[in-house]
Amino acid sequence: MSLLREAERCVANQRAHAGLNALIAPLQRSEEWLSRVRQADIRRENKSPKSRLDGRLVTIKDNICTRDFPTTCGSGILDKYSSPFNATVVEQLEKGGAIIAGKTNLDEFGMGSHSVHSRFGPVKNQHPRHGRDVSAGGSSGGSAVAVATDQCYAALGTDTGGSVRLPAAYTGTVGFKPSYGLISRWGVVAYANSLDTVGILGKDTSSVRAVFDNKPSKRLMKKIADVVNRHDPRDPTNLSPSSRSRILSSLDSPQFASRLASRPLKIGFPKEYNVSELTPAVRRAWMLALSHLRKQGHTIHPVSVPATKSALSAYYVIAPAEASSNLAKYDGVRYGTRAEGPDGEGRTDGYLYGKTRGQGFGDEVKRRVLLGTFSLSADAIDNYFLQAQRIRRLVVHDFNAVFNLSHPLADTSIQNGPESENAQREVQRADVDVLVCPTAPSAPPFLDSLLGGSASSPLDAYVNDIFTVPASLAGLPAISVPISLPDPQSQDPEMIGIQVIGQYGDDELVLKVGGLLEGQKLS
Amino acid sequence: MLQPWLPRNPRAACSLVCSRCHQALVLQQRPRIARRISQSISFRSSRWLQTESASSADPVPLRKQLKQEAKALRARKRQTKQDEEASRRGWELTVGIEIHAQLDTEAKLFSRAATSTSDIPNTNVALFDLAFPGSQPEFQVATLLPALRAAIALNCEIQPVSRFDRKHYFYQDQPAGYQITQYYEPFAKHGYVDLFDYDGIAPEDGSRVRVEIKQVQLEQDTAKSQEYPPSMQLLDFNRVSHPLIEIITLPQIHTPATAAACVRKIQAILQSCGAVTTGMELGGLRADVNVSVRRRDEAPGTHQYHGVGGLGQRTEIKNLSSFKAVEDAIVAEKNRQIAVLESGGVIEGETRGWTIGSTETRKLRSKEGAVDYRYMPDPDLAPLVIDPGLTAQLKETLPTSADDLVELLRGPAYGLSIEDAKPLIELDDGARLEYFMDVVDLLRILQQDEDAKSVDRLGRIVGNWVLHELGGLLTKGELAWDADRVSAPSLAELIDQLHRKHITGATAKLVLTMLFDGDQRPIRQLLEEENLLLRPLSRDEYVALAETVMSQNLRMVEQIRTKNQVGKLGWFVGQMMRTGEKGRVEAQRAEEVLRELILGS
Repeated sequence: MSLLREAERCVANQRAHAGLNALIAPLQRSEEWLSRVRQADIRRENKSPKSRLDGRLVTIKDNICTRDFPTTCGSGILDKYSSPFNATVVEQLEKGGAIIAGKTNLDEFGMGSHSVHSRFGPVKNQHPRHGRDVSAGGSSGGSAVAVATDQCYAALGTDTGGSVRLPAAYTGTVGFKPSYGLISRWGVVAYANSLDTVGILGKDTSSVRAVFDNKPSKRLMKKIADVVNRHDPRDPTNLSPSSRSRILSSLDSPQFASRLASRPLKIGFPKEYNVSELTPAVRRAWMLALSHLRKQGHTIHPVSVPATKSALSAYYVIAPAEASSNLAKYDGVRYGTRAEGPDGEGRTDGYLYGKTRGQGFGDEVKRRVLLGTFSLSADAIDNYFLQAQRIRRLVVHDFNAVFNLSHPLADTSIQNGPESENAQREVQRADVDVLVCPTAPSAPPFLDSLLGGSASSPLDAYVNDIFTVPASLAGLPAISVPISLPDPQSQDPEMIGIQVIGQYGDDELVLKVGGLLEGQKLS
Repeated sequence: MLQPWLPRNPRAACSLVCSRCHQALVLQQRPRIARRISQSISFRSSRWLQTESASSADPVPLRKQLKQEAKALRARKRQTKQDEEASRRGWELTVGIEIHAQLDTEAKLFSRAATSTSDIPNTNVALFDLAFPGSQPEFQVATLLPALRAAIALNCEIQPVSRFDRKHYFYQDQPAGYQITQYYEPFAKHGYVDLFDYDGIAPEDGSRVRVEIKQVQLEQDTAKSQEYPPSMQLLDFNRVSHPLIEIITLPQIHTPATAAACVRKIQAILQSCGAVTTGMELGGLRADVNVSVRRRDEAPGTHQYHGVGGLGQRTEIKNLSSFKAVEDAIVAEKNRQIAVLESGGVIEGETRGWTIGSTETRKLRSKEGAVDYRYMPDPDLAPLVIDPGLTAQLKETLPTSADDLVELLRGPAYGLSIEDAKPLIELDDGARLEYFMDVVDLLRILQQDEDAKSVDRLGRIVGNWVLHELGGLLTKGELAWDADRVSAPSLAELIDQLHRKHITGATAKLVLTMLFDGDQRPIRQLLEEENLLLRPLSRDEYVALAETVMSQNLRMVEQIRTKNQVGKLGWFVGQMMRTGEKGRVEAQRAEEVLRELILGS
């Protein structure tokens, strides 16, 4: 199929599936991008495409800045905001020939697990269950649904605590969160900077790779420059070229390079992830995925990551704390929507910006800003924010203890320090290559129960992040891929997301193992 | 050769001069103080003026009225001072200072936008400066250099690793809702500044006070806001994120004058090491002071600040923009606190403001605990790693401190008084000092044949010529310093001629004026062509000259003889010099002859 036809089909799907509310700003037909697609078609024919994305439609989560589309973050306070600049990832995609095909719906500023906290209404999963709409997952639900319903070739999301992987699991797509620092965050509206990672959603790992790094394609037999996995000096948390080559050289040794070829892999089974909240179907999918890998010659090893139990709590302290700081800039003064009339309740001693921020933010954002404000306050910071940072460190130690590959950027002087805890963990070092676990503990919940208000507490939504948060805290690469099992209650098979987590920098291996599992019909 | 000795910042000059003048006023010059007061008197409260006019039914001549007013004000001022001294005896004042100084850098702290103070509003602003969604900080390494120079000049320990934190509060001039600063781990700690009597510290502080500096931190400036009541605020973001250093002293100051001296000295240090753009008078430097008092005869207070304990509850006075404001605000706040405590009240920990010319601080917001800044490490900014090699290199290239220069100039090598040493160091960004040292060096070569004792005095002599003679001509002509106007070799040769008695002092001054006005001839040639070289008069000629002037003023001669009014001899000396041939009468010899003729001794 020509790129042009593919693009036109995507645009038609955007219209056909408008009811799913995946897009805040869809792609309008215009000669400008149509001709760019036609030129890409010519390049493809001449076997000289700019990249594997050349002429393909990519949608962008609406918390990533674009000059040509509004950037609302799903928030009332930015509902008419247009960014004066493109995020680096947008520039990189366009340089690779991709067409930016609209902005996708999300939980306001990325805060949510079901894409229901948006100024523009909830996103709906394309597969209702028993005739009822279910969650598309969040916060990148719009991107996931856009991919699942062919409204684009691939989509960018952001993953702070699972916001790419969870929607991928709920919509039967592939969602990849690379190692922290690989993809530029310049132009990505901050929710929690130390966790925010641009992620990629696609139908399969191959399309994810097309956006990520363009390994040499067999057909073209040549390496094309990576698309979004590139150094960006404008993002101070982006990995420097020297760190990147340090990672590559640590992966280049025969011991690790062989894992990408044929060597059987050691797959870790994290015991602490086998929680009571797991539904039978998800637990079954997990076991089937592991046995599928074993049948292919890989070995399964139970491992222990004890800090996991506290990771979710730590996440819900750290992320809101950073959010409360990051969102302090929205005051309606320099940009964004400002409340009518004088602010500060019109009094000189009134709360500055109280009205603007009160009207502009949704409930979940307000909840997290308050949480974060509290946990950073003088009386609480020791017990909450600092304690959470300690747990975060333990989570990193846990992962370092189970992976064969050492953290390529770890300060060895710290790792080999006299901390007895480290020494203890060293003993039970498990030497696995990747961890495999579910992405979410259950199937997507019904939208009406989520929107019902009192029926479900915010804590219920937070539990959905239990398996995705640890990799976020440690900055590790993780991918969610769909596998399908027969559903006894339905004609259609049930899609369940399985997550693969690797050591920092081991993104290629994570993509590879994801590829081994994706789309498998297991029973 | 002298270069490393000298301060570098050309913009430092004018403010240093100002600070010196100001200090001089505060310290001694009574007449000038009086004049200032009489000027300000007409702007004083109307109540005062009305009382005055009511009491004077007869028209009082203006001059007399002004005199009376000035006298009354002096009396009032004296009374205030006495009252204050009385109250000071019972109470101990403790002051700590925080100084914010704009660093002299090309770019802002976290963006490449240019720093500026005078550009059109909102023309130097990057995305991050306005806190645009999705923008990120880009630390400008070059801003570190002036910050390091300042910290080294303040004798701080430079920290190999420091970090940036966010300080949260909402205000229009703070676009991100937080200021990036260094709260938990500042880049410099444990410094000090020494204040000497000549720095203008209070007499009761003796000849030297050391004020310790707790830390120096890098941080962002805020935007400039202008209020147009009732409902308009204009914002200029050019200043946002201009790199600042905040210098925090320990609460170790116990007099208002010493607090002002401390701010003045820190400003001078910052300027002489080229760390800052402008001084207080242009808004490049602002000070906050925290003030507490406690009764001397009671148990120590319960409060502790920066590890200094036993203090009373403190208040903070923000945004003081002159040395005088620092001193006056502290006096006012001290008096307020004492008044509150003496009437049985309690001091609240609050932030107060000070308006220039007022007599009271005013409450801005209460209870510092009420503002919780929620300091959080900035997750976008990597730790600041400073190579000890860089610190060492900067230390080596830093100009000699003013304190060391003062010591050198007052020492045996130059023998200057402190009154001459200070202006030499402070004037013209060090150019005057460089010139002075050049002249001394040249003169020493010219005077090699002279005895050691007279060579020792050369520093003082040259100091006098450079500061007062040359300085006087500059002042009269309202001209800026220019080392080439009278070249150092010319001045050295001129002083050499004088010292060797080849010319008289009056001739030397005349020649200096000629050189100053552009005479290009070499000194020797000039002296010869103008017939200025001293051809000593014979004893007979002196006697004849003396007799002439005596005969014209016999009454005075008589007064000297009978009433022993020896002082009047000088007048006759002057007469002899005026009457005699220009440049030939030496004052000393003239006086000798006069004494002989009049007093017979």
